[in-house]
Amino acid sequence: MRLRNLLIWDMRFQSRYGFYLLYTFLTLFYIVVLTAMPSSWRGYAAAVLIFSDPAAMGLFFMGAIVLLEKSQRITSFMAVAPLKAKEYVLSKVLSLNAIALVVAMILTLSAGGRNIVAVLVGTFMAGTLFTLCGVIVATKITSLNQFILATVPVEIVGFVPAILHLCGITPKSWGIYPANACMDLVAGREASMIGLVLCALIIAALFRASVGCVQKMWQEQGGVKI
Amino acid sequence: MSRIRSISISFIHMLKFVKKDMMLLAAGVSPVMIGAAIRFGIPFIENLLVKYTGLPYVMEPYYGLIDILFAAITPVIFCFVAAMVILEEHDDHIDRYLFVTDLGRRGYYISRIIVPAVIAFVITAALLPIFGLSDQVVAVEVSLAIAGTLQGIIIALLVVTLSSNKLEGMALTKLSSLLMLGAVVPYIMPKPYSYILSFMPSFWTGMMINENNIVYMAACVAVSMVWIALLGIASKNK
Repeated sequence: MRLRNLLIWDMRFQSRYGFYLLYTFLTLFYIVVLTAMPSSWRGYAAAVLIFSDPAAMGLFFMGAIVLLEKSQRITSFMAVAPLKAKEYVLSKVLSLNAIALVVAMILTLSAGGRNIVAVLVGTFMAGTLFTLCGVIVATKITSLNQFILATVPVEIVGFVPAILHLCGITPKSWGIYPANACMDLVAGREASMIGLVLCALIIAALFRASVGCVQKMWQEQGGVKI
Repeated sequence: MSRIRSISISFIHMLKFVKKDMMLLAAGVSPVMIGAAIRFGIPFIENLLVKYTGLPYVMEPYYGLIDILFAAITPVIFCFVAAMVILEEHDDHIDRYLFVTDLGRRGYYISRIIVPAVIAFVITAALLPIFGLSDQVVAVEVSLAIAGTLQGIIIALLVVTLSSNKLEGMALTKLSSLLMLGAVVPYIMPKPYSYILSFMPSFWTGMMINENNIVYMAACVAVSMVWIALLGIASKNK
């Protein structure tokens, strides 16, 4: 019940600050781009677009979300409410993934992709990875500029190997790298089972770490402005 | 003279502000790092792709396009940082106090957007001949730097004018950075359909490089000026 209410609140928050409107525009734009491309490129382009944008949304926006919540004293309220840090993190992951999954499905269909289930599973795993990283970084910063800089290494480690893997530039054995396994699924391809297991383990470790970071942030309750 | 002094002090104040978050260092270093990555990384990837696909070239026909995007990156980074500072000052109610000083509203926007944009132009014009992939004449390289700078100003004004806090600012930055992708259109979309996106300044930069005709730069400047004028009016009414 608490999780459901938190999820609804997070979705309303995202709606109020234009996330749904933004991703409606972006999805339309991406559809136009995909339609204009030669059909042989569409699958690859859709995979890169899904992986680097809706799936990575948490990494891009989490700093601004957490800082805005801090400046509005929402985190103070959460600290005293009968709410668990894991519910807070789970709500962030699920609410942002909801947008990512809808956008991923639309883009896959418009690119002529058929393996929708694999794409959605890959998007969810990548989205969870990036959002959890975003939560961990966001709880440790005091300004948006710090967040933008702190997420650059995560973006490099997450995006570069995955895009090189998609293009076939790196050896196939690199498919066990978690981001590459997610990218394989997002591209509708068969992914390495070892890679997916590693990805699930990393998600579990990041979830545990992010819950700890949120608990610490709630205890500290320092005021920052956005 | 007093106005120029006010603008200089206001700009130095902004530099001190971004220095605290290491953003000043990052914004200063990133153009060189991105330039080096493009200059050495893209030809390396091209060689791998040529070997892998067996084609005579894969990315080489798009080197001009990569140069257009590189020319826009430095101004966009500088103007984005400036836009975030403006939003922060707006949230802290500092901007309205600065408006009633010698600096004034116009001086404030000059110190926050135009001065960083001019510095970004100088850096871009200096780095493009070093890191550029396509062999362009000096006039074209300067034109690319001007086009990139105008783009940075437009993005900063869009973010500042249409958003009321940093979260909306981030969302708008994402949306407005799509303006940079207009340069891709002449490469992938046939005429006359491509003209649908002629309202994007970068579309004309793409036309200039794709058709090797510097006259299109005039259209790029004209479209950019319309954007800047409209956003300038909107920011006054904010």
